Amino acid sequence: MIKLMPGLDSSAAALQAERIRLEVIGQNIANSNTTKTASGKPYERQIVKFETVLQDKLGVNSEAVPLLVKVAKIAKDTKPPKEIYQPGHPDAKPNGMVDYPNVNVHEEMADMIASSRAYEANLAAIKNARSMTLQTLAIGRR
Amino acid sequence: MLGSSRQKVMVNGLFTQTNYQGLKKMLDATVMRHEAIASNLANLETPNYKRIDVESGFGEELSRAIAGRDTRDISRLEPRLVLDKSASSPNRDGNTVQLDRELLALQQNSLAHNMQTQFVTGSLMKLRSAIQGRTA
Amino acid sequence: MTPISFNSGLSSGIYSPELRNLRPQAPKENAKGIDGGEGLDPSLAQMPGVSNLNQAQVGFDNVLGKFVNEVNSKQMAAGDAVTGLLGGKNVPLHQAMIAMEEASVSFQLMVEVRNKLLEGYQELLRMQV
Repeated sequence: MIKLMPGLDSSAAALQAERIRLEVIGQNIANSNTTKTASGKPYERQIVKFETVLQDKLGVNSEAVPLLVKVAKIAKDTKPPKEIYQPGHPDAKPNGMVDYPNVNVHEEMADMIASSRAYEANLAAIKNARSMTLQTLAIGRR
Repeated sequence: MLGSSRQKVMVNGLFTQTNYQGLKKMLDATVMRHEAIASNLANLETPNYKRIDVESGFGEELSRAIAGRDTRDISRLEPRLVLDKSASSPNRDGNTVQLDRELLALQQNSLAHNMQTQFVTGSLMKLRSAIQGRTA
Repeated sequence: MTPISFNSGLSSGIYSPELRNLRPQAPKENAKGIDGGEGLDPSLAQMPGVSNLNQAQVGFDNVLGKFVNEVNSKQMAAGDAVTGLLGGKNVPLHQAMIAMEEASVSFQLMVEVRNKLLEGYQELLRMQV
């Protein structure tokens, strides 16, 4: 791949990772009240785990190298489901408690804001890289 | 090739002004800094990530070399990426990237790049003017 | 830097080292001149005012040859930079662009020098004896 825009690998990888995270958060919020899924249990909250990968060394004797983010895996949160006393509910257990998904909507909203912010920041980085490249291509031309 | 083993006096003499050489080095550093900023922004949410940047002394050394009007000093300098030790950790997770500062650095770097490419273009256009005897 | 300073660079930095080589030297064996062959008629070389002319051609020939070779190596450096860029090696785009522009400026200089030489030659031919 021709290296036209600087920092593109980092920014593109981050965009993809944050997009996956946003999708998972959206799914969590949408299923925050699903008491019974196909497996019979209430919906289990999903968490996205990121990991960083070292990029190629840039320049001579660079101590530090840019790090790429990627999604290592999408794991299930092991917190126990919330129990709410609703004896008339069709999915109620014998003791009258209903298991609701372990999704805290406020927490999910906070995560969503952080993820959106990171997404927009990386988008700004790519926009700047693009305009820098266009100017570079115009070197020597008036 | 005949002339390559000896020092290239004639053609390279066109390009030995200290400003021009210094600008080219600055451009190297600016592009490298963008890589660093992109990495910092990409790892905004990574726990324990430490921000990286171009070595902070590079700018001063390059300024001094340009002021000293010696192109050999300039050609010896090379920018490199290091961990930014002066960055403090505002988050509990050990991440030293601050979004507002990083975005500001991104914009400033972009403008610096713009300035440097324009000056390089200006130098080259002046050479062309002098060669052709025309201003276009 | 203004064009004025560029011109002073021309007169002091670029050509004078080569012009200094044009001091009278021993005539070389296979001196090639404007005729493209043996240079001027060897018997002419015996006349006092003409001997420097032959050596001047020899020196200037060298200067031109070196000049062309340097411009060529600049073009090759630019080609290498573009090859590195296209081949995915870590050549930054701005270095390739600047290398190409410098090669282009050098080539333009060579073309203008050639034009001026041709003009001078044609004017020489037009001179009435």
